[in-house]
Amino acid sequence: MELNLNIPSWSDLRFWLPEAILCITFLVALLGDLVVRGRRTWVPFAVSVAGLITAGAYAVAAMNHGLDAGQFQGHTIMGSLMIVDGMAGFFRLLFIFASLVTVLFAWTSEEIMGKRRENKGEFYALTVLLTAAMMVMAEARDLLMLFLSMEAVGLISYVMAGYMRTSLRSSEASLKYVLFGAVSSAIMLYGMSLLYGMTGAMEFDGIRNALISGTVDPFALLVVVVLILAGMSYKIAAVPFHYWCPDVYEGAPTPVSAIFSVGPKAAGFALMIRFFYTTFAAGTDAGTQLVQDINWPLLVAVMSVATMTYGNLVALRQTNVKRMLAYSSIAHVGYLLMGFVLLSSAGLASILFYLLVYTLMNLGAFFYVVAINNHLKSEELSDYVGIGFRAPWAGAMMVIFLASLTGVPPFAGFVGKFYLFTAVLDKQWFWLAIVAALNSVVSLYYYFKVVRAMFLSTPAEGTDMSPLKLHWLQYVVLAMLAIPTLALGLFFEEFKGLADMAIGMMGG
Amino acid sequence: MEITLTHYLLLAAAIFVTGMVGFIVRRNAIVMLMCVELMLSSVNIVFAAFSRFHLDGGGHVFVLMNFAVAAAEAAIGLAILVEIFRRRRTVNVDDLKTLME
Amino acid sequence: MFEQFIPVLLVLLVAAAFAGLFLGLSSWLGPSRPSALKNSIYECGVPARGSTQIRFFVRFFLVALFFLLFDLEAVFLYPWVILYKGMLAAGHGMFALGEMGAFVAVLLVGFIYIWKKGGLEWQ
Repeated sequence: MELNLNIPSWSDLRFWLPEAILCITFLVALLGDLVVRGRRTWVPFAVSVAGLITAGAYAVAAMNHGLDAGQFQGHTIMGSLMIVDGMAGFFRLLFIFASLVTVLFAWTSEEIMGKRRENKGEFYALTVLLTAAMMVMAEARDLLMLFLSMEAVGLISYVMAGYMRTSLRSSEASLKYVLFGAVSSAIMLYGMSLLYGMTGAMEFDGIRNALISGTVDPFALLVVVVLILAGMSYKIAAVPFHYWCPDVYEGAPTPVSAIFSVGPKAAGFALMIRFFYTTFAAGTDAGTQLVQDINWPLLVAVMSVATMTYGNLVALRQTNVKRMLAYSSIAHVGYLLMGFVLLSSAGLASILFYLLVYTLMNLGAFFYVVAINNHLKSEELSDYVGIGFRAPWAGAMMVIFLASLTGVPPFAGFVGKFYLFTAVLDKQWFWLAIVAALNSVVSLYYYFKVVRAMFLSTPAEGTDMSPLKLHWLQYVVLAMLAIPTLALGLFFEEFKGLADMAIGMMGG
Repeated sequence: MEITLTHYLLLAAAIFVTGMVGFIVRRNAIVMLMCVELMLSSVNIVFAAFSRFHLDGGGHVFVLMNFAVAAAEAAIGLAILVEIFRRRRTVNVDDLKTLME
Repeated sequence: MFEQFIPVLLVLLVAAAFAGLFLGLSSWLGPSRPSALKNSIYECGVPARGSTQIRFFVRFFLVALFFLLFDLEAVFLYPWVILYKGMLAAGHGMFALGEMGAFVAVLLVGFIYIWKKGGLEWQ
């Protein structure tokens, strides 16, 4: 038996600096937590912010360098387990941004930093490590790395969901997450083992070559695709693998739910894009033929419709804002899957753009819930009555986020949806576009319910209407999200171009 | 009788299905975790068998990694279970309904 | 057909014969004077009291978990040991050593964290 030893070297680290920095930051933050005792554990916070900013700077530099040199088709690193290309660069920046704002906001959150919490430093350290793991998910080009990065993200998420150890809700959310996560990754793994058996390759391009050579039985391939898709749709919480999502988001501390609703989902999409696009579709006709053999478009289209419809309909009757946002995030996964139906580069680019927009608006909405929860200790819609007037600026920004989530022009959500719809309509999938449009109308109702409670409903007699004092950092972070949500609705071409480029520069 | 690749695959499929059914049927969280471990083991068998079949070391590497990941998953799952058991004196998932709508 | 399993069968037969031989020998040669005390269940130390379904102290559990995690990391040392000689010959010795150093260093940080957080204290 031969072991193909593709010996990596330390020079690979040149291309992997952001991730390496984050890994070291994690270790330092963990040790820093031990060194400084005290009520305010500022050391892990400061270390992780510094680490994220440094890693972000390097990621931007790498992106610029790649673009200038026009050679961002990718460097395979670590013995060809990973690839650093335009798409990886795009997701790196997305993840670092999402984690940075989450870490900043968590500093002001009672759920994370409250007096009774233990191990506050762990939250910051784990968020940093989660970022690194998600970045690897976007870079994996080998079944082994795909599995390891997904498991790394999963394991960190389980711990973060159970962060509030003293809260039964949090532990219970974590248990559900572990059980369903473990079983779905086992299902995916089974599919991967069969794929390895059919093709004899672990690398995506090796799998692709074996598939094109045409020795693979289409039915066996369909089974494998369904098994692997099951594991991945668990990660992005698509129907029918969504049941963990509302429970986990409700039970976990809200800042953790915020990063869960964005980070691992985007990473899951990155993984799906790279895996399915490079193995099944990338350009040549033979590959696209494979997709046709197993009727991929219909499979994904049905999943997409089921996901968005389920998410929106169940969100309608939620009374807890956090749970409602969880169902809304399921619905958004449904919209995102639309871009995945045809595996065309236009569709994939619109997924990337929508992920960017979704990150901004969804994080914003969750952070508003965090800010309000600090004062009200509640996420019930009935407690939100009149809250808009008690903190007008934050309330106004929440309206921006909700409007953008609905997809109303001129906000970023509208542009994102527009691109997704165009990608589908280009290929004459009219019914899919119509269902999605109807869904958007439904979603208007429950997003508006929140706005109505905040601003339009008259509070009951004796309700406390004193102004809420929000931490200045909360205003800064909310503005960091609200301003781009507005700006991207008007000046979107630059960023759409970036998404196009990221897909165009996806190396095999 | 020669033991061929098919036999390994059938064995793995049987173990996988056993684990899957166990996960669905049983309500004790510890047993459910054990069923998942069973499923992961069946995957290991498939990888090892195909690794031999293709004369390629990749499958063996995967098996090693899978061991470690499965152990980490079990450790986290059990740690959470202990926490819940301390509070609720049960590990039956049907009793954990705090988060139901 | 089943030829390849003949050695296994032989081992089983030899094991059974061996065990049977010595059990038979001891019952044939040894004196047999049963009494009430001798027929009672063998117990090492004091007689058993109470239910066997006691709850274990949670510390046992914690130590078992740590053992599981750190013990499994040894799995990764094994392939490294196998490959090290080849890598040394190929001139990648420092790289291989450095990689393992990084791996152990990460484990060490985890160990220090557990230690400092009091995970290893028996209280």
